[in-house]
Amino acid sequence: MDDFLTRALDLATVQGASYSDVRLVETKQERFIVRSGAVDTLSNDESLGIGVRVLVNGSWGFASTNILSPTEVDRITDLAVQIAKASAQSSNGPVSLGPPVTSKGVYTTPIQIDPFTISLEDKLGLLLEADRQMDSVKGISARTGNLIFIKEHKTFANSEGAHVEQTIYEAGGGLMATARGNGEVQRRSYPQSMRQQGCAGWEFVESMDLVGNAERIATEAVELLSAKHCPSGITTLIVGASQLGLQIHESCGHAIELDRVLGSEAAYAGTSFLTTDKLNNFKYGSEQINITADSVRLPGLGSYGWDDEGVPAQSTPVVENGHFTGYLTSRETASGLGLTPNGSMRAASWNRIPLIRMTNVSLEPGNWELEDLIADTDDGILMEMNRSWSIDDRRFNFQFGTEIGYEIKNGKLGQILRNCTYTGITPEFWNSCDAVCNDKLWTMWGIPNCGKGQPGQIGHTGHGAAPARFRNVRVGVMK
Amino acid sequence: MMGRKAALALLDKALSYSKAQETDIYLNALDLGLSRFAGGAIHQNVAHGNVVLNVRSVVGNRLGRATTNDLSDSGVRKAVDAAHQNALLMPEDDGFLGLPQPSTATKVNSWDEATAFCSPQTRAKIVNEVCLQGKEHDLNVSGACRTGVQEVAVVSSHGTRAFHAGTFAGLIINTMSDNSAGWAKGGGWRLADMDTEALGREAVSKAVEGRNPLAIEPGAYPVVLDTYAVDDILEALSLYGMGAQSVQEGRSWMNDVIGHQVMSTDITIWDDGSDIQGWPVPFDAEGMPRQRVEVITAGVVNTPVHNSYTAGKDGTISTGHQAYFTGAPIASNLFMQEGASSLEELIGSTERGIYITRFFYTRLAHSKGCVMTGMTRDGTFMIENGQITHPVKDLRFTQSYVDALAGVELVGSDSKLVLNEVGFATRVPALKLQSFNFTGVTV
Repeated sequence: MDDFLTRALDLATVQGASYSDVRLVETKQERFIVRSGAVDTLSNDESLGIGVRVLVNGSWGFASTNILSPTEVDRITDLAVQIAKASAQSSNGPVSLGPPVTSKGVYTTPIQIDPFTISLEDKLGLLLEADRQMDSVKGISARTGNLIFIKEHKTFANSEGAHVEQTIYEAGGGLMATARGNGEVQRRSYPQSMRQQGCAGWEFVESMDLVGNAERIATEAVELLSAKHCPSGITTLIVGASQLGLQIHESCGHAIELDRVLGSEAAYAGTSFLTTDKLNNFKYGSEQINITADSVRLPGLGSYGWDDEGVPAQSTPVVENGHFTGYLTSRETASGLGLTPNGSMRAASWNRIPLIRMTNVSLEPGNWELEDLIADTDDGILMEMNRSWSIDDRRFNFQFGTEIGYEIKNGKLGQILRNCTYTGITPEFWNSCDAVCNDKLWTMWGIPNCGKGQPGQIGHTGHGAAPARFRNVRVGVMK
Repeated sequence: MMGRKAALALLDKALSYSKAQETDIYLNALDLGLSRFAGGAIHQNVAHGNVVLNVRSVVGNRLGRATTNDLSDSGVRKAVDAAHQNALLMPEDDGFLGLPQPSTATKVNSWDEATAFCSPQTRAKIVNEVCLQGKEHDLNVSGACRTGVQEVAVVSSHGTRAFHAGTFAGLIINTMSDNSAGWAKGGGWRLADMDTEALGREAVSKAVEGRNPLAIEPGAYPVVLDTYAVDDILEALSLYGMGAQSVQEGRSWMNDVIGHQVMSTDITIWDDGSDIQGWPVPFDAEGMPRQRVEVITAGVVNTPVHNSYTAGKDGTISTGHQAYFTGAPIASNLFMQEGASSLEELIGSTERGIYITRFFYTRLAHSKGCVMTGMTRDGTFMIENGQITHPVKDLRFTQSYVDALAGVELVGSDSKLVLNEVGFATRVPALKLQSFNFTGVTV
């Protein structure tokens, strides 16, 4: 296979490329979905292809194919060059990539148990047993369970001499119980909405104890049908760990993508309020807020050896004691600001170009025990598990809904609440945080469905978080 | 591009490898060229081709699946064998009644040679012209221009043999000043039908007229929705409830209201994958003809769309809405009946309200009534005494889309085809609604 990479790089150079890179990616995936007792999906999916990216006349071109042959590699390399020449017809000046990248090496996700060595029967059996547990609860109208296992083998090489080979494993699973009655529909999920996923092996799914939590979430879904509505008003809010993971994703992770900041995504996903004048010059949150973007903290879904430009995995402080200190960058965007690229470029597949994607963007743990935090809260709400999410195109105005909430009265958890929502403006919200829980409840959450780019790419990102408390938050938006 | 002969030959060969009782194979091929631009220049420019074989094998009432894009003999055989092996592992499913019997779809011509072979140079020329329109008004212009070919084919052991090749072209334009933005989106299956100059003018005018927006108080306002905002409503109603699976599981906005009038009598919505006025693909991933399904008739909720599995559960037949290899049935070629009023009349008849170009990042807040939250974006304006008086800062809404369509006052006379991701499009008019609930304002 390496012959194809060398062939593409050599041909691109001959055809006038000042830079080229090539990725050959083979992906193997197993998917399982059980819906209300029946197996909806048991599928083995395989994908193989090669993509060539070139800089010609200072502009980008990219082409890809699923046919691995010398003729086809030549064709797509030539096509990428032609596309780059067309890009140069509409250019704002030559692209600069900064210092060359010459990484070499091999990386494999450290796993304990290769998920592809576990029988399909065992995997299906796990989901069917969890389904039976949910079915034991009266009042459930629909049950779903899913598992996914991915093995991606990727070889990257560039015209500057880089050559890296990676095997990335992912494993994930989740359950959802839906209850319907009294003119209401409610749901509960476990471990989080859709599923929990990580760069890990079968042990990651085993540790979830899906079966042991199935009946509990089904019971909670039914209880929510008659629960009190989330009140409307301004209150103290404790955001649970999994919900806070998505809050970080939407209001910090996307906002620190430097391509968004510079306008590359303006027509689609939008831009960012964290403009370049704010770097090291903006109070993003309170002193409790320390956020790190890293591609090394397993089992985060943003963990790897090198990004898809060959830049090594690393850790970048993004917010330090509330102050905004760092972006997620590519070689091109970092070069433009005089920064060092921090290895955040990833492509969803061989037929997509790399984009700046979140790695593991995490809120570092604080010092509070959750019990103490609740005891320290006179009046408020604890909300957990995402149900809906929306944020504006500059990542300012957000609104989230959660599956469940709990009243907090005089330092004690009270009755459960349904249809919980909260809304705010990103920097106001993070500046209102006065407590973050410690590492006992800190979890690395995996988000496997992050959309970005045109043509669309689905990214996999990690977000570590523990419960945290926010003051003066508007809740109960949905009447 | 494969072409009919090569696609069906590949599928026939794959089918011959199967040892299962029943087998069908769905081929989905895409050749895409896409030029993205930002800051008035192309910054991403790509081409990709891929051919994916999706295999379903049946043993008794057990169904297994596998997919591959390795089209070598060994690659195809491996996928066919994997699907069969997966079927053998499956538990019995009494709800599965077997693969559908063959049914012939209406042939649709949505192929345009110039669109299929559009060069990156042609796309760059379009981009340059659009960017020039923005630069004349000191606007930062971004967007994407795409052209391509989608080929789909299905064969089955029951005798299904279907092939369709269609072209597509699309242009998205976003214009931005320091404090305003505009938007335009156009497309269809023929590049020549796309008036790129008019789209550029539309996006530029919104950003120019939107400069220096004023913040207004959230609350309930009458609204005039441009076609892009109406597209969002149809897309949400489809994703969150027009498919039979969500109805059967009790999480659709249709639950409890089928047969009831829940929207204005001016609202009629149907799905038709064979209509040349949309983005036609005449059969689904099971090879079933995409039937015209009237989901809403004069405000009355009729029926969801089906694949063969959900149809079997409901004792009916598939309407041909298995849009993708896996997943639930979905209405993806939607139409809303036009009315008799121009956009100017919709605005002119509004005493005090808000004109909205489009919605952004809309998500389901509650399934009952399809309550959605999202933002306005790229051109939001105050209407006073029948005139647009000033731009307003973008607003967040939390609103039941079903309730919104219950309060339709006027329906636009012109409809627009809005192409979204490959395989999903709506043709919709502008609407004037009595009330829309805004729950916040952005900075």
